[in-house]
Amino acid sequence: MALFAAGLSHKNAPVALRERLALDDDKLREMLRDTLVMGAMREAVIVSTCNRVELYGVADAPGAARTTAFVHLCRQRGVDPAAVESLLYLHEEQDAIRHAFRVAASLDSMMIGEPQILGQVKDAFALAQSCETVGPALHTLFTQAFAVAKRVRTETEIARHAVSVSFAAVEMAKKIFAGLTGRAVLLVGAGKMGELAAKHLVEQGAFPIYVVNRTWARAQEMARALSGTAVPFDDLSTALAAVDIVITSTGAPAPLITHAVVARVMQERRARPLFFIDIAVPRDVESGVDTLEDVYCYDIDDLKQVVDANIRERLREAQRAEALVEREVAKFTARLGDVEVIPTIVSLRERLEDIRRGEVKKALARLPDASPETRAAIEALSASIINKILHAPITKLRESSRAGSHRSWLEVVHELFGLGRRS
Amino acid sequence: MHAYLLNAAIVAYACATGLAFAYLVQRLEVVHRLAALATVTGWAAHTLALVVVAVETGRPPLGSFSNAVSVAVWVVVLLEMIVERQSGLKVLGAFVMPVVLALGLKSSLGRPATLAPALGSAWVWVHIALALIGIAAFVLNFAGALMYLLQERQIRAKRPGRFYYRLPALETLDHLTYRTLALGFPFLTTGIILGAVWARTSWGSVFAPDPLAFFSVVAWVIYAGTLAGRTAGGWHGRRAAYYAIVGFAALVLTLGAGLFLPGMHGA
Repeated sequence: MALFAAGLSHKNAPVALRERLALDDDKLREMLRDTLVMGAMREAVIVSTCNRVELYGVADAPGAARTTAFVHLCRQRGVDPAAVESLLYLHEEQDAIRHAFRVAASLDSMMIGEPQILGQVKDAFALAQSCETVGPALHTLFTQAFAVAKRVRTETEIARHAVSVSFAAVEMAKKIFAGLTGRAVLLVGAGKMGELAAKHLVEQGAFPIYVVNRTWARAQEMARALSGTAVPFDDLSTALAAVDIVITSTGAPAPLITHAVVARVMQERRARPLFFIDIAVPRDVESGVDTLEDVYCYDIDDLKQVVDANIRERLREAQRAEALVEREVAKFTARLGDVEVIPTIVSLRERLEDIRRGEVKKALARLPDASPETRAAIEALSASIINKILHAPITKLRESSRAGSHRSWLEVVHELFGLGRRS
Repeated sequence: MHAYLLNAAIVAYACATGLAFAYLVQRLEVVHRLAALATVTGWAAHTLALVVVAVETGRPPLGSFSNAVSVAVWVVVLLEMIVERQSGLKVLGAFVMPVVLALGLKSSLGRPATLAPALGSAWVWVHIALALIGIAAFVLNFAGALMYLLQERQIRAKRPGRFYYRLPALETLDHLTYRTLALGFPFLTTGIILGAVWARTSWGSVFAPDPLAFFSVVAWVIYAGTLAGRTAGGWHGRRAAYYAIVGFAALVLTLGAGLFLPGMHGA
């Protein structure tokens, strides 16, 4: 029996194909049951998202199991199996373990470190459990994959730095202010991205929120949505003096917030930094405003630049994450191997011990006059012979389990020592 | 005996410095833990060395100027560990430990001066101890200012580099420099006043020809100006950080004068 992972993902299959193969929960349940019934598979979990359709399972012949399952899936979805066959990958044993760990840890995702995939894998696993298609092998595999994913998230920064403009703005605010709790925010204009950034700030504890808009009704509406206060457009500069973060996203053709206004406002503020997030195109904040002391201004291009740097940082962190996954795969394989190797080692010892005891008994029966010292010496001699004989095979078995190649060695040992057929 | 311990401490501080830099570049939790371990080990050896000196001489380990600098280093490391634990500022070591290492090496290179004959009065010990605590706080003040300027540059340049990700918020760093200034200043002030009073009683003049005293007054003036600017003039951020660095430069000259120039302190 071999553990395997098979399927297709955003890496090689076009979205047009992926979307046709994706399954909803009901279809998934059906598919899980069918896979076990039809294929020579003992356990199955299917992960189906917009970026991947993957089958994890345990089978004697993973290749055949994969073909059966995906031909069935293609028929169900009205896709030509021939178009899919060439795109399918198949990972077995250690490679399957590595693949499961990498997928759960979001290292195989389109955007490395994106947080949804872990939840999607957990859902897929729970669904398979409810269909009773999960056995001991997949249970240990997925439980461990979730633990590895958690380690990767906490010990590396692959998921830490924002990859969207609005989140990048929030993170930048956190590098200026020590915490966002109780920071006042002014939202100027009604752009979608501006509203999104304001929402993120509110989630991080920013308060109170002021909204300014040329249209008073629109200002009130947005203020309600953000639990903030609408401020008349003419009071813009008064509001500027009162807040810490300003988000602008109007459609105004010329800058609304000029250098002169900000310079005046900063004098009233006395040393409190002011951070402009200018998401509008054309820009709402006059360029050069951030040459003033304590004024920081990021426009949409600056934020995109930060996002690019963040992605590079994620990729650097991904290298560390890969190393961590590799160590976990080795540990997991060794543990799995030990679990399978230990019973064989025990029965091997028992087998030789039986032989030894029988032979010693026979020998002693032929030596009725032997002194206790002689008897003890015979016992010790025979015990030490079997220990010497066993040393090499046991070491080899342990090593092979660590290397993940113990299955064939187990067969050999069982054959050679007549330990009885393994299941 | 104390020389071995002191060397061990300096080696440990050197390891801690290297590890702290490594942590800044490659953010591995285990590297930070090793750096912290090296710091604690060095500090423990340092503590023992100071105790041994005190027991051997029967006096506080401030008998020569290089001994005194060694005590200042000891206080800096202690403060660094406390601030790091309290604020979770794990990168602090990378900015403080190089200074620790430089001062530590300097103090071990200084002339092994005999005890200055004037060092009899208890007031002198208090003078030295207070000044040293002040200096230690200013080492952290310097580190905070350096981090502030680095982070501010990154944010203004709009091109986040490695430091951007590792360093905390500007406000946090500004707060650190302010707090360390507010802590160090009263100690330095009292230390200098006691020194002046004592100089008058033993040498008959406050203005004894002493390079250390001169530079320490220069440093004091800079720090006094910065503190006044911060509390009354609304100074903060970059300006305060520049002054922190200038003040620290004056402080380094002060210590250098004590270690390498002849004078009342150099004995």
